[in-house]
Amino acid sequence: MNEPRWTVILDGSAPPPRERIGGKAWSIARMRSLDLPVPPAFVVTTEACAAYQAEGDLPPGLTDELAAGVAWLEECTDRTFGSGPSPLLISVRSGAAISMPGMMDTILNLGINETTMAALATEAGDERFARDTYRRFHELYAGIVLKLPDPDLDPDSEPAAWRASIEQSAPQGVPQDVREQLAAAVRAVFDSWQSRRAKRYRKHHDIPDDLGTAVTVQAMVFGNLDDTSGTGVLFTRDPLTGERKPYGEYLARAQGEDVVSGRFTPQRIEELATALPAIHDQLMQAGDTLEAENGDIQDIEFTVQHGTLYLLQSRTAKRAPAAAVRAAVEMAVEGRINRQQVLERVTASQARSLLKPHLAEGVADRAETLATGQGASPGVGVGIVVTDSDEAERRHAAGEAVVLARATTSPDDVHGMLSATAVVTEQGGSTSHAAVVGRSLGLPCVVGCGDASVTTLAGRTVTVDGAAGAIYAGALDVVIPDERADKRLAQLLTWAAEASPLAVYRPEDAPADTNILDLDRIEGGEDPERLAELLAGHTAARGGAIASDEGVAAALIAGLTFIVADPTLPPLLAAIAAGNGPNESRPTPESQSQGRR
Amino acid sequence: MQAKHLVLHGIAIKKHATVDEVAGITGLDRDAVQQIVDDAVAAGRVQQAGDKVMLAPAAQMALTGEYRKAFSGLREDDGFLAAYQDFEKINVDLKQVITEWQTMTVGGEQVPNDHSDSEYDDAVIDKLGDVHERVEGVLDRLAAKLPRLSIYKNKLLTALEKAEDGDTAWVSDARTESYHTVWFELHEDLLRITGNKRSE
Repeated sequence: MNEPRWTVILDGSAPPPRERIGGKAWSIARMRSLDLPVPPAFVVTTEACAAYQAEGDLPPGLTDELAAGVAWLEECTDRTFGSGPSPLLISVRSGAAISMPGMMDTILNLGINETTMAALATEAGDERFARDTYRRFHELYAGIVLKLPDPDLDPDSEPAAWRASIEQSAPQGVPQDVREQLAAAVRAVFDSWQSRRAKRYRKHHDIPDDLGTAVTVQAMVFGNLDDTSGTGVLFTRDPLTGERKPYGEYLARAQGEDVVSGRFTPQRIEELATALPAIHDQLMQAGDTLEAENGDIQDIEFTVQHGTLYLLQSRTAKRAPAAAVRAAVEMAVEGRINRQQVLERVTASQARSLLKPHLAEGVADRAETLATGQGASPGVGVGIVVTDSDEAERRHAAGEAVVLARATTSPDDVHGMLSATAVVTEQGGSTSHAAVVGRSLGLPCVVGCGDASVTTLAGRTVTVDGAAGAIYAGALDVVIPDERADKRLAQLLTWAAEASPLAVYRPEDAPADTNILDLDRIEGGEDPERLAELLAGHTAARGGAIASDEGVAAALIAGLTFIVADPTLPPLLAAIAAGNGPNESRPTPESQSQGRR
Repeated sequence: MQAKHLVLHGIAIKKHATVDEVAGITGLDRDAVQQIVDDAVAAGRVQQAGDKVMLAPAAQMALTGEYRKAFSGLREDDGFLAAYQDFEKINVDLKQVITEWQTMTVGGEQVPNDHSDSEYDDAVIDKLGDVHERVEGVLDRLAAKLPRLSIYKNKLLTALEKAEDGDTAWVSDARTESYHTVWFELHEDLLRITGNKRSE
């Protein structure tokens, strides 16, 4: 075969530029160049997309090149596409040089049909797994390629019934020929380039329409084939505390969906060291390489297939506010990142969240618990229980602190919620109206406490802990954390004070010789939008909305010498963020993502 | 539905609403809505508080009877009901997306989304766009039977595009006509039309 024109095999040699193969393929190529084990893949280039858009069809020669790419995957994996005994299944993903919304979602398990389903069942010794794989592929294909509004299939039905239900809405159905499946998926990726969202995003961000998207085709790996197979997730540091120790889980003889579904309880990652020590060491090394390379905590999905480790995805880990602070400060001490990166990485809202009032240690244990439910929005609220939203509004207006208790809430109750220090309900879960609105208002909220559990508390003074999901009798002691008492926060505070373009003083340290505008004493001082006019002509301010992100930005624009606040860390971080220029959303390069999530 | 009942229906969906908002959700002319509201306030069917109006209890009950008359055809229309069932299925996914918008999973624990991670937020807004693309066809099928329902499609797209442009209050803020607010009102409208109850 001649030099391929529309595809590139990602065999570890120097990759073509990002513009040609897209961000996802580029990051696979980069991981391969770091000697990290990733499942074999090839990519259909953005040039093929441009040709498709121009001609309205797949360019001549692409079908043969897809076949050649698949043959290479077969060779690497020792599996075959469309037949047994070890069938090759593949994933198909869109990937432009710049990530944008509206592009096609990933199709997994492409290559499964009646024949390969039977082969997979035999190979894994697990018929249910093979059927689930077949069903999941049909759901994805029906939703993504055939665009059915509700592609979910009944897991208890037979494959023939699944196909019939799809064909009822889309007569063409799902092809049994696996090469037709692949061609249709590639077309669907190219078509998604013209979706409303993608077109709009390009226009908004001045991205040329002819840039095109690439299509990454990658071998699927299976963690459920035998006892030397498994799947798991590794965080290079604890995402809750930030401590530098591996954190994660591993489930032997399982697929990633099994971990997510909760059907099985995974083991701690440490268990992998006992079960497969060489794999464990290789994984830890890979984690360190990726963390050093990316300069941040990594969240890595991996699968072990027949005793071979494959990294499916590595990305920057989501973290709790406490972990954000600890990991950033420690990485700076380790020399992995610099101070400026620390200050850009820890946000003002993370600092605010850490410094938010919480219940004093142990008071909850001694308090009488009146009701418990699902904690839906964190924070502590104290007040008299009222069960009617109009009453809540009236009593709040009269200066009382109220907790709104309802069987459920509806849009009828929003004015009552706006008046309350917390909201509690008897029915509903984390997606119920009370939970959704409570989070949107930053209001402590506990839901699903059970029938007649909270409305019966009318008239009593209670304390609601939205994080713990509990309602306690009486007004409990609330602790206000001290930013100077915690050594990492104190370190961050020192660095932030040095770097901030705006001085922030604690009330007791404020210079006495300066006239400080007190926004608490000024009409409108609590409204961030009015601060620009109120601050004009002043040199210093305190109170009102001055410590909010908007307040700090207004103080910088008004040219204030300093502000007074407690705590000082959030406004300092906000000032640093504002001083670095507007942090609006801009096109970001694709992150590495070959995983299932 | 007659205009005077449609105005009451609009108020019932919005709960506390200005005349402009009622006109917006019903598609009726603003002055006509004002006239009907004035008459209804005089007749005690609607209560006025500041610039907002709400239904009096008697009007709530009268409306339930009115629904039986006005929507008896739709309640037996297989095409409409099938589209409504599709909406209910997509509703489950919408609620999931809104939950992802408001909370994120960190190391297996749910924590509030503090919106400091724009990549995460963009991905959720992208999922909202997926939901929207799925519901568009369903809304077309509903509006084919009851044309005023197309108002929701426009309001949803407006909210979505504002969120896509970076104004994130348009995702779920309860105080604006955010995507979730409009979706909730649409759901309320459909429940009233079909005579079904909301399941939490």
